[in-house]
Amino acid sequence: MRLQEAEGLYHPYEVFVQYDHLQHHQHVGSVLAPSPEVALLMARENLLRRERAVNVWVVRKDQIHATDYGDDDFFAQEFDRSYRRVDGYSADNARKWKQFKQRALELEDMLGD
Amino acid sequence: MTEAVKPEDEAKLEEFMARIERGEKIEATDWMPDEYRRILLKFIQMHGVSEIMGAYPEKEWVPKAPTLRRKLGLMSKVQDEVGHGQLLLRVAEELGAPLGVTRESLITDIFHGRTKFHNVFHMESPTWADAGVIGWLVDGAAIIAQTALLDTSYAPYGRVLKRICAEESFHMQHGESIILALAEGTKEQRQMLQDAVNRWWESLYFFFGPPTISRSAELMMKYRIREKTNEQLRQKFLSRYVPRVHSLGLTLPDKNLHYDEATQTWSYTQPDWERWGRMVRENSGPKSQERIALRRQAHEGQRWVREAMVDSPHRAAV
Repeated sequence: MRLQEAEGLYHPYEVFVQYDHLQHHQHVGSVLAPSPEVALLMARENLLRRERAVNVWVVRKDQIHATDYGDDDFFAQEFDRSYRRVDGYSADNARKWKQFKQRALELEDMLGD
Repeated sequence: MTEAVKPEDEAKLEEFMARIERGEKIEATDWMPDEYRRILLKFIQMHGVSEIMGAYPEKEWVPKAPTLRRKLGLMSKVQDEVGHGQLLLRVAEELGAPLGVTRESLITDIFHGRTKFHNVFHMESPTWADAGVIGWLVDGAAIIAQTALLDTSYAPYGRVLKRICAEESFHMQHGESIILALAEGTKEQRQMLQDAVNRWWESLYFFFGPPTISRSAELMMKYRIREKTNEQLRQKFLSRYVPRVHSLGLTLPDKNLHYDEATQTWSYTQPDWERWGRMVRENSGPKSQERIALRRQAHEGQRWVREAMVDSPHRAAV
């Protein structure tokens, strides 16, 4: 087998690392490899020399379905979505709570309890 | 001579430049002018190849490291450099794919003289202090050059640089650990450190490139690939490192080096730009040919491994 052929059989694999069980896998980069098994080894050697992780996925790049960077419409938000967000309410609530001599509660307060 | 631009490309070019000027980031799949692709490709290839060739001056010290801990530290640094090379070549091969660029061509360009690598990696590292000074000052210079690229307009490059810079900070600490041990050591160790600083100093001036703004530097700025000039980076390096060298009681081999309060800049003796430039272009430094030969040997000697790793269903009968 000639090298030229071998090169054509090396493929980019995107690498997703799960750093701990309470995190989703994160995309961290890509490697060029001849098989999924070697891609996993390359991912460990290239992208996990120091950090600890619990799991790695490699996915052949041509198997990924993605949006187009040029397709702004896909991400369009035609309406004001403040009614969906914390900041759509928090300032107003805080002002009102102040009148009742209370401080508005935030998620951090609950986590701190 | 630039080729005639098709009218539809002209509109695309205008939109592309508008995106650059708005500070938007470019992805590999976006339309980009040929000039942008080529200049980035050349730059990222040179960066990747320099990472790989940068492993050589230090790997020479792996078998001779003074302690096991030093040996392990140095080995991991060498591994990082080669790893950085691989990450960068991934970015380069994706960018260069429309031009027929492959991993194979990016690597073989090294020994066919079709790409360059940083001047510092053509030089000898004759003592253990050189291994330390490379980590301390050469990696220090590299971090200054690389952090200036973090906000680059080409997003895939920026993402990889973020990871590289984090690891370079390990290299810096590692190098400093070596030189600080020598600085606190015997008279001979201090002399060895001073000699290594003397050996590397002029090459570090050259490392950042000439103060004149070349055509390619101009394009890099126009496309917001890098926004700082060579001279700005060199000045930053001098501000950071000259006081540190002096605080160790070491001297620098440049009698013209001083901080000019009036202009708020460092004055220094210009390195021999012509001589260094020729060395990098022609790979005619003291160690260039030896290290390029090692790279070729590794690439060609391991070809059978790369071929054997291909999945067996795809493997043709020999």
